[in-house]
Amino acid sequence: MSATLTLHGLTRDYGGPAPALSDLTLRVPAGSCLAVVGPSGSGKTTVLRLASGLERPDRGDVRLDGASVLEVAPEERGMAMVFQRPLLFPHRSVLDNVAFSARVRGESRRRARADAEEYLDLVQLSGFGSRHPGELSGGQEQRVALARALAAQPRVLLLDEPFSALDAALRAEMHDLVRKVRAALDPTIVLVTHDQAEAASLADCVAVLSAGRLVQHDTVDRIYSRPTSLTTARQMGGRNEVPGEVCGHHHHSVLGSLALPVDVRPPQGPGVLVFRQESVQVTDPDAADALVEGTVVASRPVGARRLLTIEVVGRAMTPHGGCVVQVHAETPPGHPVWEGDRVGIRLSPHALSVVPEEIGAKRAHTSGMPPRKSEAPVRSGRVSSGP
Amino acid sequence: MTRTRRVLGVVLMIVLVAWFLTPLLPLGLWAGAETWSGTSPLPQRWGTGNIASVFAPGGGAAVLRSLALGTAVAALATPAGAVVARVLALRQVRRPRLVEGLLFAPVALPVFAVVMGLNVVVLRLHVPGFLGIALVLVVAALPYTTFLMRAAYASYDVAFEEEARTLGASSGAVRWRVRLPLLLPALAGAAFLAFLVGWSDYIVTLLLGGGRYVTLPILVASAASGTGNEPTVAALSLVALAPPALMLVTAGLLRRRLIPRRSRSARRPGPALSSSPVVEGTA
Repeated sequence: MSATLTLHGLTRDYGGPAPALSDLTLRVPAGSCLAVVGPSGSGKTTVLRLASGLERPDRGDVRLDGASVLEVAPEERGMAMVFQRPLLFPHRSVLDNVAFSARVRGESRRRARADAEEYLDLVQLSGFGSRHPGELSGGQEQRVALARALAAQPRVLLLDEPFSALDAALRAEMHDLVRKVRAALDPTIVLVTHDQAEAASLADCVAVLSAGRLVQHDTVDRIYSRPTSLTTARQMGGRNEVPGEVCGHHHHSVLGSLALPVDVRPPQGPGVLVFRQESVQVTDPDAADALVEGTVVASRPVGARRLLTIEVVGRAMTPHGGCVVQVHAETPPGHPVWEGDRVGIRLSPHALSVVPEEIGAKRAHTSGMPPRKSEAPVRSGRVSSGP
Repeated sequence: MTRTRRVLGVVLMIVLVAWFLTPLLPLGLWAGAETWSGTSPLPQRWGTGNIASVFAPGGGAAVLRSLALGTAVAALATPAGAVVARVLALRQVRRPRLVEGLLFAPVALPVFAVVMGLNVVVLRLHVPGFLGIALVLVVAALPYTTFLMRAAYASYDVAFEEEARTLGASSGAVRWRVRLPLLLPALAGAAFLAFLVGWSDYIVTLLLGGGRYVTLPILVASAASGTGNEPTVAALSLVALAPPALMLVTAGLLRRRLIPRRSRSARRPGPALSSSPVVEGTA
């Protein structure tokens, strides 16, 4: 059923200031799931439209198991698509929506409906066949849309932000459903999403797009831990960027001289140290293994956890940043830390990565401002380590 | 407050029903009157003679001609309007405003000028009578069908068609299994309007037919121009009301049968005969 999808040098220009997609090359092995992430207007949906044949690329090729399908009509490519909106045909019942592909293939109504029942069962909507789309909730509609796409037995399943309109609980349910579908049918999936957590939850690999260009294509783990650019780090939700200098196998910055992991080999010279906020451990400021100490300047809840912004004052101005840097850390519940608290910071060496500086892409995390004069005393007692 | 609103609603409904029925009441009385002296408030003797006289030789043929004309105009102007509306809605033409202006010109210009102009063209091309009248009426009906279908396409989501294609539907299957059902209410509305243009036309038929092509409106006008023909005029007028009323009822029943109530309120695109629900935005 599933096939390897290869996009080779895809370019699509709508006549705007820049092409919607530029020279995109990606390979999605059969049975795997690739998530395409990027901000709005980065060309994510264009990738799916070109792959499915709904639009023709200006340049490049779309291949299925090595054979070009550029001249093949969308209906014959074997790539079913689920859009952001369910787009269930309102004049058909749920069962007939799912049976649609079989009917247009020429199957008898009875056979098509019997098959459709199985796919409805797969998405846990047995017994809903006689209903009409207007009688379903948003989550149920999207389940039917998924069942309808699967019933087309596609070689590649294209999902265009299908869960973005659902609330968090429904989205989690749909993620479980996609995992179940993957286990049962092993389809090749290309999922377009702007939600990095969704991408990490469902995909084997992630492709990050920015302004129509592929920025990075890697496994979920590496895309989080080893971003190759600030764009990727930010797109995947990374918040810590510390400018500095790479010298030998160390990064020198306000945080001091930090040894880089063996698989991180950035070029010598200026480079931005990036690390995940989840990998920052918050300790007592006097802890022996604390890398640096700083002051909590902001603390806000992120679900059950808290996101701390810690201002670290460097000993001297560095050539590539100010003498103050803000480090973001996520702490688990049950560890109260307040604004003004002094804390220590510990960083796992494996969590560090260095990316090139990007002109005009500087975040307000660092500044050339002198350190704050008033530093509040530590209110809480000992602060234990983070995650 | 709610009760006052309900009462107001009922009163409004009664006024509306009275508004539509008041002109029909004298028609019904006259059509059913075998004998009705001017001094009596109601006919003295009732019968079906007036209605039967409509279908007498000459009258029946006129009804059939009108039916044929209405059907032909609907059959030509509806698909043509749908195609033009799609082209305009999907911006498949370079200057949509210019095309719209040309299409709607027959509505904006004096009807005599348009008909006389087209009359010359039709005569020079030796187009047969019925076909000539039908073609000119299609020109007159096209703005209405285009306008209605344009409104339908404005709320029609082409993504339904794209979804169908990725599910394996050919362009033909998309047309019949997706586009047509989704646009059916609007198409029915457009066909109804186009039918009315052909069914009730008087001027074009008179000018192009030269009085030899007798349709129901020609017959009504002819009878109405004489005196003492009230029963005949009333019977002809009632017969003229029947096909459009029948079409409305049939379309309503079909709509009820084809589309379940809840889906109807959800996302049917375009204006319909009985209601005009709107679908979410276009792709």
